[in-house]
Order: sequence, then structure tokens, then C-alpha cells
Amino acid sequence: MKLHTKMMQRLTSLWTSGITRASLGLAILCGMAPEALAGGKRWGPVPFASDFGYRFEDLFWLITWLCVGSFSIVVIMILIPSVRDRYKPGRKAHFDHGASLKDKRLATVISAATFLVLDAWVLVIAMTDLREAWWNIPESEEAGVYEVEVLAQQWAWNFRHKGADGKFGTADDILQMNELTVPNGRSVSFQGTSKDVIHSLFIPAMRFKKDFNPGDINSVWFKPITAGNYTILCAELCGYAHYQMFGELHVLESDTFDNWAADASELGVAAYDSEDTEARWAWDWKE
Amino acid sequence: MSGDHIHAEPTNFFRKHVFSVDHKVIAKQFLWFGLVWLGIGGIMAMLIRWQLANPGDPVPVIGSFLFPRTGGVIDPATYNTLFTMHGTIMIFLGLTPLIIGCVGNWAIPLMIGARDMIFPLLNCLSFWTVFAGGCVGFYSLFVPLGATEAGWTGYPTLSTTVNGLGSGETLWAIAVFLIGASSIMGGINYMTTVIRLRAPGMTWGRLPLTVWGLFLTSALNVLFIPVIGSAMLLLIMDRVFGTTFFVPASIMQGGGGGDPILYQHLFWIFGHPEVYILILPAWGIIGDLLSFFARKPAFGYRAQVGAMTAVTVLSAVVYGHHMFTTGLSAMLGESFMLLTMIISVPAEILFFSWLHTIWRGNIRFTVPMLWSVGVIFVFGLGGLTGIYCATIGTDIFLHDTYFIVGHFHLTMAASALFAAFGAIVFFFPKMFGRMMSPLLGKLHFWLTIIPLVSVFCMMFVMGYAGMPRRYYDHTSMEFLASLQHMNKAATHMAFLLGSAQLIFVFNFIKSRWFGKPASTNPWEVGTLDWQTETPLPHYNFKDIPTVVTGPHEFSHPALPEGRDWISMTEELPSA
Amino acid sequence: MTSAAISLPKEGIKSRVNTTLGMVFFIGSWSMSFGTLFLAFAVLRQRSGVWPPVGIALPSLPMATLATAVLIASSVAFHRALQGIDAKDSNAVRADGLGLPWIIGLVTGVAFALLQGWLWMDLMAAGRNPSSGLYESLFYGLTWVHALHVGIGLLSLLWATIGLAAGRYGSHRFSTINNIVIFWHFVDVVWIVLYLAFFIF
Ligand code: HEA
Ligand code: HEA
Ligand code: CUA
Ligand SMILES: [Cu+2]
Repeated sequence: MKLHTKMMQRLTSLWTSGITRASLGLAILCGMAPEALAGGKRWGPVPFASDFGYRFEDLFWLITWLCVGSFSIVVIMILIPSVRDRYKPGRKAHFDHGASLKDKRLATVISAATFLVLDAWVLVIAMTDLREAWWNIPESEEAGVYEVEVLAQQWAWNFRHKGADGKFGTADDILQMNELTVPNGRSVSFQGTSKDVIHSLFIPAMRFKKDFNPGDINSVWFKPITAGNYTILCAELCGYAHYQMFGELHVLESDTFDNWAADASELGVAAYDSEDTEARWAWDWKE
Repeated sequence: MSGDHIHAEPTNFFRKHVFSVDHKVIAKQFLWFGLVWLGIGGIMAMLIRWQLANPGDPVPVIGSFLFPRTGGVIDPATYNTLFTMHGTIMIFLGLTPLIIGCVGNWAIPLMIGARDMIFPLLNCLSFWTVFAGGCVGFYSLFVPLGATEAGWTGYPTLSTTVNGLGSGETLWAIAVFLIGASSIMGGINYMTTVIRLRAPGMTWGRLPLTVWGLFLTSALNVLFIPVIGSAMLLLIMDRVFGTTFFVPASIMQGGGGGDPILYQHLFWIFGHPEVYILILPAWGIIGDLLSFFARKPAFGYRAQVGAMTAVTVLSAVVYGHHMFTTGLSAMLGESFMLLTMIISVPAEILFFSWLHTIWRGNIRFTVPMLWSVGVIFVFGLGGLTGIYCATIGTDIFLHDTYFIVGHFHLTMAASALFAAFGAIVFFFPKMFGRMMSPLLGKLHFWLTIIPLVSVFCMMFVMGYAGMPRRYYDHTSMEFLASLQHMNKAATHMAFLLGSAQLIFVFNFIKSRWFGKPASTNPWEVGTLDWQTETPLPHYNFKDIPTVVTGPHEFSHPALPEGRDWISMTEELPSA
Repeated sequence: MTSAAISLPKEGIKSRVNTTLGMVFFIGSWSMSFGTLFLAFAVLRQRSGVWPPVGIALPSLPMATLATAVLIASSVAFHRALQGIDAKDSNAVRADGLGLPWIIGLVTGVAFALLQGWLWMDLMAAGRNPSSGLYESLFYGLTWVHALHVGIGLLSLLWATIGLAAGRYGSHRFSTINNIVIFWHFVDVVWIVLYLAFFIF
């Protein structure tokens, strides 16, 4: 019992010394150090490769700075009283219900300001972005729109291109599984649905995602600006192999792409099997 | 009338400790129940973290016992079950029983000066219903063909087809239904009690904030749990009787015609209020605790109540922000974005009030106070990251990534959980007549908050880098493998966090039986619960007290030298 | 239970308000739950082109109308019965027996349950079962949930009947039977909405 009390006292004094606490905190943070120092790692997203990608980045960092600002105020207002106003016997706290007219005015002004400045700022930019980019799905008639139909299934992505005849659901359609080839610099417009459960088409480098639901067709689009290979992921839990439902997006320069498309369309005709009803999914493009 | 709905003190063991109708006993039942489930959910979290850092490696020590079929390896199906049940358990069987079941049952009657809940039998039924729900949920882990694998959100058509022949998913839905029924019973009881059984003088303007938070939570429980109840019924019918509420025609041979998105609407009409169901009591608790330990009146009491009420109302109309990527119409999407953003205004008023409550106080950094200040910190992080989620332009990328996981752990698993810890430590002396060790308490606090913030802030980085949630293994493709180092780091921190909880368990159990005996009012506060004797008599109050003073009149200038608090039953001396 | 020979005082207003308030919250809660089902109904119905589906057997409109009338009658009868009980002191209730309105209420209540059963059997006989399609899903699904409440309502009413006969309930313990009857009214209202949804609009 005595030993126990003694040890407790020891521990207390050790603990209450600020240095111990600080070094403990540091040690814990250092738990991450080996991982942090090792090379060849990524700490952020891959650079964006779609024309509206910058909008996401700008908005993200705008919110981040606003949050860093607000949170700093919060932290400072925690720290100051925590140090300055610690308990001292005999001292009395400042008696204040915060119900005076002055306080009410202050609270109203601050909350109005946070809303009108911070929230409204973000809102206005977000609305503009939505209308100009994410929701501004290009119409078929627009020049240069490249259309792709998507059928998601457990656990693969099926993509369908129109092929040489410019129509979906014909023998010369190009079918790709877990691979998607599109031309650089043209708006790519998707319509997609699912065969079984909900999946979500997520192309991080292009900064968008969209759910494809069974029984319904959803649209989404992006415009690649850099040729290259990018990862396609499935972002909606879809069962056992959800984590392995990935594919690759190839963005080709337009002349390479045209060659590829012509070849692929011919291959499509060759491989076309009128008996295979499974492979004949397609729908009329919805306006 | 002092004989107000009194039930006689039970004499036999069963009526006293098992099927008790006494709110104090039921509160303790909820406490133990919630802690055990928190432990189970916590172990699941550790397994999740193990798998994410070391995909496909057998779990050390307990692995071969838990997953004998695979030699201790977590397979993808098991992983899906793990996070689904982790989420369900933590929310419905861990936090809800603690912060609503335990704190509500303990604090409401004692703080408003009542002898018990207004419907004691319903109260007892409420506990045993959630208990049954827990049993069904636990049992579902062991059925043939596997437990639920569809996420805690249980979206069809995955949830209508997953292990289609097995009963795992169905039992999960039944468990959620039962737990919900329990919450409704509790909600009705709490609301009626607060409205009808307040002691004389306990006006609405003098209710402790804890009671306000619980009252508003109860309103949300009563109104929105039925929505999930019905959704679960429809889901069960789809699975068991072949109806097609959520199954579209395109994937049914004949029949069909349902709508999987309808389920998402129903789920989130409930689901969004649910997250405020968890945070409102937390806000109330820390509103009180900050004032109690800063020895200052709660700053802007009315503003705080108003803000909480505003959030309660708003919570009903923002649910669509969980569905930004499902193909919601542009008009609906923008409205939900705007409405969601409006919630930051009442949240801001709460922060304003809390921070001014501790400003120029005489702060006693007891363990409950540490947790409360901790809540301001972590809820700041969690709440502010809610803004990224609310903004469609950023949510289109961040949705279903680890960014969201970080957001909701900082709000629920940190803020609400911290408030629950704070409340447990705070009420402990009255509950068990003993103090919890402050030393161990402080150690537990620091060893929780530091790793917790690191784990979940790490997730913001992962999410921003594009790592999707609910993935069994992030190393099977180059894109995610280059982020694996963060998974490892988060896992190390999470293990530290998990181990730190053992300090709490030790402290709790040791103090329960061997702690320092507590005085009647160890924290020196004025609310009615602390004016009673310890241990509490069967009827709480020999005579129902009459309230004449507010709950937070600390450091009133008229108080005599050397005393900075006044009981709610004492008249303030005129200055 | 013990039957007191003396006249017990009427149940106090405080206790009545307490229990009724609890019941009001309960009904509010349950309205949300049925509201959810009706929301699902509205959404799904609006999504499907033709409503009600043509060319298949549908539940019988005359029988459903009859059921509706019977259920309304039951509610009215119980309302009357309660008024009567509240007007008397408790021993009088026992002495006078349960009273005609109460009995009528019970009989019509059971009659409704039988009619509901008939509606199902009829539809099943025509080969329409819960997995036949969306209409059937909705019809069976929603009426099942409602029927569950009819069942619970009838059991509670039975309990109340026994209690009344034994003198356990009466104006001295009014809230319990009052609440059971409120619940029954609620079941009635839900049925009316169901009836309107499936057969009228
Ligand atoms: C206790 C739980 C809790 C709480 C309190 C909150 C609070 C908030 N949540 Fe969160 N949320 C969850 C739990 C919670 N959430 C869960 C569990 C999920 C995911 C479920 C799943 O998919 O599995 C989720 C998901 C979620 C989404 C969906 C994301 C997605 O899936 O893509 C969104 C989107 O809008 C969102 C927003 C918000 C907002 C705006 C708040 C606001 O209430 C926050 C308000 C607080 C502040 C804003 C901070 C304080 C204010 C200031 C310091 C003032 C200055 C600030 C400004 C003016 C901006 N949350
Ligand atoms: C209140 C809710 C809550 C809490 C407290 C937690 C706590 C934790 N959670 Fe969890 N989590 C969710 C709710 C919660 N979580 C939800 C809703 C999901 C989504 C599920 C889905 O996608 O469907 C999720 C998902 C989720 C994931 C994502 C999985 C994926 O998407 O693949 C991860 C990954 O790291 C994770 C980790 C953790 C960790 C490390 C903790 C740690 O904080 C845990 C630390 C341990 C404890 C806090 C235990 C304390 C124990 C005691 C005190 C024991 C007392 C016992 C006795 C006295 C007997 N959680
Ligand atoms: Cu497909 Cu996840
Ligand atoms: Cu939400």
C-alpha cells in the first residue's frame, strides 16, 4: 500500500512536469516519423488532369484556409484562458451571463459575419463551379463531345463506345472492360447504370465521381487536358471485391486515339456475336 | 403531493438489479452495456486498422481464435462485416446507450428534481429492448453464410442481395429495429418527464443544459427513429418475402419496379438527425461542465439553448448532403448545400458561448473539464471539415473517401465520445459513491486525444489523396499503394489509442470498488443532483426541492468570501 | 384482482395528462413511421407508369369499403363507450357490465380483422402474392404493417375488456383504457389513409 502511494506520487510529479508531457506528445508524433521519412511516398492527390480539376483544388484550399483561420481563433481562445485563468484559490471568476445587449449584439454580428463572409464565399464559388463545370454536362450536338456508355457490375467496369457508325448498340461498338481509352482535349460524356448493385465511378485525377445505380441512368462528364494513364476506382461499397474493382483510363492524343478507335471498331465487328445477349447491353443516348 | 408515482423499493434481487424500474439502476445498466459494446466496437476498430496496415497478414495473438477458418487472416467478406458492425455497434450500442441511455437516465430525474422517470416500466422495457437488439446483432455475427456486409448504411441492392440466402443482413436489420424501438421508448419517457416532472421553480430557463440537450435529442429520437424503423421493415420484407420496394425492375426476372435510391432517402432522413442525436447531449453536457469547472455562469445560456434548438430543427432538412453523388437533381443538391451551410451559424454561436464561458474563469482542470475542453478542440476540427463535405464541389471528390471517415470520427468518435467520458467521470461519484482516480484520468485523456487527433487528421490527408473508404486492401494497385505509409502511421496511432482505453477500463473498475469515497458534492456545483446525499436514497429526494436559483450562478459577487457556488435551492443573497 | 366495494375516486387530472402526453408523443412517433411508408408508396407509385396496374386481379374494392366502414364504426363505438365509462364511478361500470358500445366496438374490430384476412386470401387466390410486383409489394407490405397494429390493438382491447369486467379499469383508472382506445383510433386513421391511397386515388 505504502509503495503504491509512493509510486503514485512519483508518477504524479513526473506527469505534472510540462517537459514530460511535451516529450510524450513528441514521442507519439514521432511514431509516424519512420513512415514519413521513407521515400517514394505520396502525401497528396495526383495532379489533376481534367479542365475543371483546378476548381476542386481552388475550392479545397479556399475552405482549408478559412478553416485554418477559424480554427486558429478557437485554439487561441482555448489556450489563453487555459494558461491565464487556471484555478487559484481565493480568486473569483469574472461573473457574467453573457446576456447583456452588448454580448447579444456581438454574437449576432459574429455569426452574421461568419455566414456572410465565410459560408457565402464558399457557396458562391461552389455554385459557380457547379453551373460552369460539374453540372454543365455537354449536349450531344456540341462539337467534339465524346460519348461513352458505362455498365457497372460486380466487379468490373464495362465501357461502350459508339464505334465507326456513330451509334450505340450496333456491331461496330467498341467494348472495353476495366480499361477506357478517350481522346485528349475533348469533353467526354458518360451515361451509366449498373447490372446489380450500386457502384460509383471515381477517377481521382479527373476530380469527379458519380454513382451508377441499377434501374436508372446517371450522367457525368469531364474533359481531359493531359494525355497519360490514370486510375479508375469504384467508390461505392459493392460487395466482396469492391476494393478490386478498378480500371485504367488512357487519355491519348487525338491522332493516336483516332487510329486506336478505328482499329478497335473493326475488332469489335469481328468479335461481334449476335447470340451473346449479355454483351448487347446499350441504350439510346438520353438527352 | 410527495407520493407522486412512487414505486416501492424492491426487495428481491431480480427486481432490484435486473428488471429494475429505478432510473438509477437502469442508468448503470446502460453504462455497463454501453461500455462493453464500446469495447467490442473498439476491438473491431483495431482489427480494421490491423488489416489496413498489414493487408492479408494473420492477426497476431487473437487471430487464430477469431478467424480459425482462414488461419487468422481477415478475408474481404469478414472485413466488410467488421466495419459494418463496427459502425453499427459504435453508434447504436456504444455511444447511444452511454450518452443517452446512461447520462439521460441518470441526469434527467436528478437534475430536474424528480423521484424517477415518469414511466418507470417503459424505462425498464427500453433497456431490455436494446439488450435484445444487442443480442440479435451479436448472434448475427455467427450465422451460417455470414453476417451483414453492406455497410452501416445498408444500401440496397447490395443489402437485398448480399448473402441472399443467409440471415445475417436480415438479423442486422432486426437488431437496428429493436435498438430503434428502445430509443423511441426512451425518447417518449425523457420528453414527458422533462415536461411534467420538473420540481417547483425549475423553469425551462433554469434547466441545466445537459437536460436541454437530452430533451432535444429525445425529440429527434421520437420523430426520426420511426423512419429508419419503417425502412428496416421494408428491407426485411424485400429480403424475406420477395417484395421489391428497393429492387428495380431491371435486375429482377419479372416483378421489380422498386427504387434503391428511395432507401437512401429514407435512411438519411433518419441518418442525418441521428448524428445530431449523438452530438446534442454532448453539447449540453459540455455547456454545463465548462461552466461548472470554469466557475463562471454558462455564457449566453439562452443563445446556447436557441442554437441547439435551431440545429434540431435544421437537422431535419439537410439530409440530402449525403447523396450529392447519387444523381440528385441540381436544384435539390444546391438547396441541401445551402441548408447544410446554415448549420455552421448555430454551431458558431455554440463555440462563441463555450469559449466565452472559460474566458476569465477560475478554471479547475479536473478530468471532466479536460474532456470538455477537448470536445471544443476536436469538434472544431470535425465540424469545420463538415464544410468540405457540405460543399458539393469538394464533396464530389471527397465523398466516400477517408476524408469523410476522418470527419465523422472527429465529430462522433471524438466529440460525442469525449463528452460521454466527461459525463461518466463527472457523475461517477454520485453513482458509485467513489471518485475516479484523477491521475489515471488525466493520463487517459492525453493518451487518447493525441493519438486520436493524429489518426483521424491523417485520414483527411488520405482522403484528399483519393483513398476510398470501405476498401479491404489498398496495396493491390499502384495508385493507392503509394499511400500505404499513411495507413501504417494511422494504424500505429490507433493501436496507441486503443491501448490507452485500457487505462480507462482499469480506472473505472478499480475506482468502482476501491476508489476514494466521495463526498456529497465533490465538484462543488449547484444543480439538484449534487444536493442529495450519497449514496442516493431510493426516491432521490425526501422532499421534492424547490428551485429558486439558476444552475450556473458561479462566482456571484454577492456570495460570501471563500465560496464561489450556490445551490439551486438557495436564494442568492442580495448584494 | 381485488375488487373494491367502495367507490374509488376518479383518476386525477395530473395523472391523466401525464399518460396522455406520453401517448401523444407515441402517436406522433408512429405517425412518422407510417408517414415513411406512405412516402415510399407515393414515390414508388409516381415512378411506375400505369397505376393501378391493368390486367391483373386487384383487391376487392367493395370489401375494402365495407372494412373501412366497419373499422370506423368500431372507433365510434369505443369513443362512446369511453364517454360512458368516464361518466360513471368505477363500481357502477362493473355492476352495469361493459355496456353495449364497448361490445359493439370489439365485435366490429374483430370483424375488420377478418375482412382484412379475406382481402388477402382473395388476392392470393387470384395468384397475386407479395413477390408478384410493385403493386403487390406495396399492398401486402403496407397492410401487413397495419395489420400488425390491428393485432396489437385488439389484444390490448381484450386486455382492457378483461380489466373492465374485473373492475380493474374504470373512471378511477382511466388513462390506460383511454390510451388503448386512442391507439385504436390511430389504427383507424391509418387504415383510412391506406384505403384512400389504394382504392380511391
Ligand atoms: C456527431 C456526429 C456528426 C456531426 C455533429 C456532424 C456535423 C456536420 N456534418 Fe457530418 N457526418 C457524420 C456525423 C456528424 N456530422 C457522419 C457519421 C457522416 C457519414 C456517414 C457515412 O457516410 O457513413 C457524416 C457525413 C457528412 C456529410 C456527407 C459527406 C459524404 O458522404 O460525402 C456532410 C455533407 O455535408 C456532412 C456535413 C456536416 C456539417 C456541415 C456538420 C455541421 O454540424 C458542423 C458544424 C460545425 C462547425 C462548422 C464548426 C464550428 C464553427 C466555427 C468554428 C465557426 C466558423 C466556421 C464557419 C463559418 C464555417 N457530414
Ligand atoms: C461512435 C462511433 C464510432 C467510434 C467511437 C469509432 C471509433 C473508431 N473507429 Fe470507426 N467507424 C464508425 C463509427 C465509430 N468509430 C462508423 C459509423 C464507421 C463507418 C462504417 C461503414 O463504413 O459502414 C466507421 C468506420 C471506421 C473505419 C473505416 C473502415 C473502412 O471504411 O474501411 C476505420 C478505419 O480506420 C475506423 C477506425 C476507428 C478507430 C481507430 C476508432 C477508435 O476511436 C477506437 C478506439 C477504441 C475505443 C474508443 C474503445 C474504447 C473502449 C472502452 C472504453 C472499453 C470499455 C470496456 C469495458 C469497461 C468492458 N472506423
Ligand atoms: Cu463497385 Cu465498389
Ligand atoms: Cu449529415
